[in-house]
Amino acid sequence: MGHHIRLIWKFLRASVQQEIAYPVNFVISLVYGLITLAGGVIGIEVLFGQVDDVRGWTFASTLAILGVFMSISALRGLFISPSLDALAGMDGDVWTGRLDYVMLRPVDIQFLASVRQWRPFALIDLVLGLGVLVAAVTQLDATLSAGRIAAFLALLALGMLVMYSLLLAFAGMIFWSPGFLFGWVFDGLFQMARYPVSLYPAGVRLVLTWIVPVGVMTTIPAQALTGDLAPEMAFGSLALAVALFVGATVLFRTGVRRYASASS
Amino acid sequence: MNVRAGWMLVRRTWSSWMQSRSFFFLLAFGWLIGPLIYLFVWSTAAGQGAVDGWTRGQFVAYYLVLINVNQITYSQTYWTVGMMIQMGSFNRLLLYPMAPVFDAIASEIAGKVVYMTFVIPVTVVLALILRPTLSTTVGNIALFVVALGLAWALRFFLGYAQALLSFWFTRTEALLVIQEALVFLLAGQIAPTALLPAPLDQLAVLLPFRYMLGFPVELLMGRLSGAEILTGFALQGGWLLVALGLYRLTWRRGVRHYTAVGG
Repeated sequence: MGHHIRLIWKFLRASVQQEIAYPVNFVISLVYGLITLAGGVIGIEVLFGQVDDVRGWTFASTLAILGVFMSISALRGLFISPSLDALAGMDGDVWTGRLDYVMLRPVDIQFLASVRQWRPFALIDLVLGLGVLVAAVTQLDATLSAGRIAAFLALLALGMLVMYSLLLAFAGMIFWSPGFLFGWVFDGLFQMARYPVSLYPAGVRLVLTWIVPVGVMTTIPAQALTGDLAPEMAFGSLALAVALFVGATVLFRTGVRRYASASS
Repeated sequence: MNVRAGWMLVRRTWSSWMQSRSFFFLLAFGWLIGPLIYLFVWSTAAGQGAVDGWTRGQFVAYYLVLINVNQITYSQTYWTVGMMIQMGSFNRLLLYPMAPVFDAIASEIAGKVVYMTFVIPVTVVLALILRPTLSTTVGNIALFVVALGLAWALRFFLGYAQALLSFWFTRTEALLVIQEALVFLLAGQIAPTALLPAPLDQLAVLLPFRYMLGFPVELLMGRLSGAEILTGFALQGGWLLVALGLYRLTWRRGVRHYTAVGG
């Protein structure tokens, strides 16, 4: 365990060193983060400037969803996406055959593939996302108990696990069908998680809850925060997260075993 | 103008893109999601009533048209120009007896054909399910077509001029990312520009972004008064002239500055 943490630290340091070589990127990331923030907040403000609530969701609770969405996206951009992209993205290790060198290292391949590459500037987005979350919480009518915050954090962690498992599964699929980037479909559907799933028509809601469970990532943690969450939904997301994690791990490892390098 | 050569340029890109069409359909799917989210959000908010004079069916119509306009005016080519300049593959284009911008325009036309074979059927299916309310006139359709052409030209040339900054800088795609984010914010995607709160709606009218996307849709739906149509076209034309000016400037200065990779 200590060994793994030391490795993560080393990967993180290497990524920081790579990235501070391009200081302009910091400004670009900041400007882009602020524009995304403005876009999200204005979208909600425009909506609730016109109506008071939509299917029980108010300005504050919808803003909480946005905060969760932005924080989860930031954590994803911090290490999950960069690492998995380096493996399965365009020009990634599987396409080019560089995975040979990754597999030769005496570390678990799934661990290595998941934390190898970091994008430290994503921390800007994390700060902005948490800021939105705090702003939303101060606007909520409900008072926050310690229990509610704990439930929120636990469900947020489960949401992250669901996200990681799905992305790992998509990355793992590259061993069967290179060229088809499942992750892109997910990226599109994940965008829908910036609003509560109950704002969508019944068919779409079904897809977003059960097939591509982006609702579990944002709507359910936010509901825990506002106190609108039914206990069975919490257990449902625990079961889903565990099942997806096991499934994705099995798929990824089966895929790795199929890997036969890039040369013919 | 050499029509046959132009057609060959279009055909070349078109055939190479049709080979990997599932890849491009996926891209088109990604671009469609943004407007689709706001279609759902606004039509749920309108419910049985109306939001500021917009009914559910009108929101659906607005966003379904917007999805198509976005696909037509969104240019994929300006994203790749900067990369070609940096990697040196721009050299090949400079050897042709024509300005490289024609290569980009040919890819544009070919690309639209590929993308629209995905987007139009999807829109038709969505229209059958979601039942838009759209009543328009021949005059509005004519205005729409003109504004759509100008919108494409404005978005393309403004983007192309930014991409040409790659002659001097390395991270020009960041400017394009910011342009697209502002299009998202101010061009009528998060809400029809008329629904934006006080300072933003005026900003949206003055800045170029609405004229890349939202303006043609508003014309088609007949939501603008005569005076608004006139100022709209004036601003759209004005911004297009600015974009063309920027393109000429960056192209003439840039190509002299260009030394290719390893120069």
